[in-house]
Amino acid sequence: MARSVETVSPSVIIAAVGLGLVVAVPFLFIVLQAIFPELGRGSLTAPFSAFAGALGDAKLIGMTGNTLLLGVLVVVLSALIAIPLAVARALFRVPGAIVWDVLFLIPFMIPPYIAVLGWIMTLQPRGYLEQLAGFNLTGFLFSVPGIVFIMTLNSFPVVYFAVSRTLETVGSRYADVARVFGASPMRAFWRVTLPLSTPGLAASLLLVFAMAIEEYGTPAALGSRAGFDVLVTAIDLRVSDWPIDLPGAAILSLVLVALSFGAFMLQRWVLSRRSYEATTGKPQGTAKRDLGPWKWPVLLTFGLVAFVATGLPLLAILAGALSRTISGGLVWSNLGPDNFAAILGDTTGALRALGTSLSLGVAAALVTGLLGALSAYAVVKSRARGRGVLDVLTILPNALPGIVVAVGLILAWNQPWLPVTPYNTALILLLAYCCILLPQPVRYATAAFHQIGDNLEAAARVFGASPLTAFRRILLPLIAPSLLAAMLLVFAVATRELVASVVVAPVGVSTISTYIWRQFEQGSVGLGMAMAFLTILITTALPLIVLSLMGRRGSLL
Amino acid sequence: MFKTALHATVAATALFATGTAYADVTVYTAGPEKLIADLAAGFTAETGIKVEFFQATTGKVMARIEAEAANPVVDVLISASWDTATDFAERGWLVPYTSPNAAMVPDFLKTDTAVAQGVAALAIAWNPNSGTPRPAEWADLAKPEYKDLVNLPDPAQSGSAFELVAALSADGDMSMFESLAANGAIVAGANADALNPVLQGAKAAVFGAVDYISLNGKAKGESIEVIFPSSGTVIAPRPVMIMEWSDNQDEAKAFVDYMLSDAGQAIVAKQNLMPARTDVAADRPLIGDLKILPIDAATVYGKRAETLESFAKTFGK
Repeated sequence: MARSVETVSPSVIIAAVGLGLVVAVPFLFIVLQAIFPELGRGSLTAPFSAFAGALGDAKLIGMTGNTLLLGVLVVVLSALIAIPLAVARALFRVPGAIVWDVLFLIPFMIPPYIAVLGWIMTLQPRGYLEQLAGFNLTGFLFSVPGIVFIMTLNSFPVVYFAVSRTLETVGSRYADVARVFGASPMRAFWRVTLPLSTPGLAASLLLVFAMAIEEYGTPAALGSRAGFDVLVTAIDLRVSDWPIDLPGAAILSLVLVALSFGAFMLQRWVLSRRSYEATTGKPQGTAKRDLGPWKWPVLLTFGLVAFVATGLPLLAILAGALSRTISGGLVWSNLGPDNFAAILGDTTGALRALGTSLSLGVAAALVTGLLGALSAYAVVKSRARGRGVLDVLTILPNALPGIVVAVGLILAWNQPWLPVTPYNTALILLLAYCCILLPQPVRYATAAFHQIGDNLEAAARVFGASPLTAFRRILLPLIAPSLLAAMLLVFAVATRELVASVVVAPVGVSTISTYIWRQFEQGSVGLGMAMAFLTILITTALPLIVLSLMGRRGSLL
Repeated sequence: MFKTALHATVAATALFATGTAYADVTVYTAGPEKLIADLAAGFTAETGIKVEFFQATTGKVMARIEAEAANPVVDVLISASWDTATDFAERGWLVPYTSPNAAMVPDFLKTDTAVAQGVAALAIAWNPNSGTPRPAEWADLAKPEYKDLVNLPDPAQSGSAFELVAALSADGDMSMFESLAANGAIVAGANADALNPVLQGAKAAVFGAVDYISLNGKAKGESIEVIFPSSGTVIAPRPVMIMEWSDNQDEAKAFVDYMLSDAGQAIVAKQNLMPARTDVAADRPLIGDLKILPIDAATVYGKRAETLESFAKTFGK
């Protein structure tokens, strides 16, 4: 007993408390809601009575199959696009590497519901494409390949950044050893370099899978016309269609969580089969190779992907924002800065929403970054008992739809007996964002920890550093590049999170996304697009400024 | 970095926690944000009572009320669907109140526990630049001129769209929707999702658009025309209710009074909704100008699931 108390480091305790508060509490209430249908009214009667109805739904199997199919297809396409780009970026001197990184960061900054609206307005009949080029691609857009294509454009950067950064850490040293022993360059890459970067690859593919099965905007906008129903759209219908069916939504969410959990177990199995330690404290050369004759084909590929994933959606959003009316189309007389003027003149409350979301985004990035690093440490490096439970907690929110997290938070924090509560303050939004986005820093930091040899921390401890000091001075700097990247993603996504915000926002508080959504609902598409465009600029520029101020080598860019 | 992050978090937490003051009246509303913002400002200017509001779609507002049921926050609820008023009254969640200002509100727009704030109607929203002839009737949109050019809001996502489907498919006769489906009409999400493609020209018309959104668009210069078929349409009154758990019932009643006052109804009319009071003018067709299709709410909502299912089947969903 005494021994186990001694070995639990304070970072593990902080991680456990933080995870309990941010993840376990809302999740517990979702499970309780699934079991006790009358929970919302403070009653525990009729347990399990809602299960038969929700799980007996004849469409459930079809929707679950569609959800799985969507997740797998998005993962495969993301990997196909991102891995070659990431390999080129990590191991070779790609001209303008930093510019490509920024361009691939932007799709992540584009809110999915805006991106899909941009695509609809571009590809539908008489859309921007037809106005400029004379043809439309509406058949492709409203189909399963179209949904997969658009969701991939939003998520491939996750794989690109994770794999290129892990590959950089692995470096070419191990492959060089293989070359010395007679392996061909291809063989050295396939047998040594790529396997060593498995943690980053597996973690990012898991994230993409979870994001794809949890995403609401794209399947809702495109899927219903393609006759392609997924679990999230069914859950949203149960939550928004009177009479509200919270137990049913909670039960279907648990199905989603089970799917994501299955993917998580697969990832863990992959990672547990061998060691991926590549950072051992030995100095390592970071020299990259020349692309040689491949320079132009590689540049062309980078350019094509950047144009389709970043250029086209940005242009569509800008076109919408600059149009005085949608029906006026792309003619000079219809274009003007009126919508931007309305936002900057703050006649519509836009600036306040912007301020709220940006501060919430920063706060969420800090909290999840700290909690993510500690949790990942507790899971990978500590020998604390129950660390498996912590690992599971960090994966749970991955598959919880935003709207269900929101409901769980309200159920948990609006109990009459609570003396103080974050509910109806902006703090509840922070809790929601932290819960939804925690998996990002955890996955990235876990992957980074897997690559760090145990002897580094041990050496610090031998020289008298406390566990916290060793964590702060040795481990944290080593995982900082990965962690920082994840925190930037958290900042970007929290700033534009819609689905939970719409339900859980305190009275009188607007966020960027709820502001945009209201403009769309009331027919002011141009105003919403202008706000979206400004948001993308700010959420892209702010992290870049922070990074260049920190000026640290090896960080995200 | 560790400590800085921690300090920043603590500071941010303190900032957020102290930033919220509880308002005197809390309104949850499923209407245009501008409408509730103007009403709140006008009410505060007149009475000094502050209003805090939460605005979303009817579905999201209901989800929040349902999740909050153990410890409700809302004093006044404004829904976009009259069904809410009926259902909440049955649950005993509403306070009976008849505002003195409701005298000129017609009887079918008020009950003991609810009164309409304003009324929307469903219409054909048609883009004159679409190269199609101007439709006059619902049935026109099933003609070959409109092949593949008609959007319908999803009745599963829009309460008013459901009532239109119910009214036009009396006795389960889905023939009008069958001919629409055969003509390539599609079901396109909630109200805004159905309208946007028509504005851009991808489609020519919305079958059953919420009128005030299109009228507002037209005022902004969009190429869109709102047509009320002479065969009749359905209206969507927006009920205002005071919740029985409210601790601020006097203030809530004062808010309802203000909303039905001359000033309040003028704000409603400014959003291109029909004012609930028949003696308040508005720059748009009023209830008296429209033929309203009769629907028996109890029967129609009793058969909601079946109607939605046969509608979905018609459109091959």
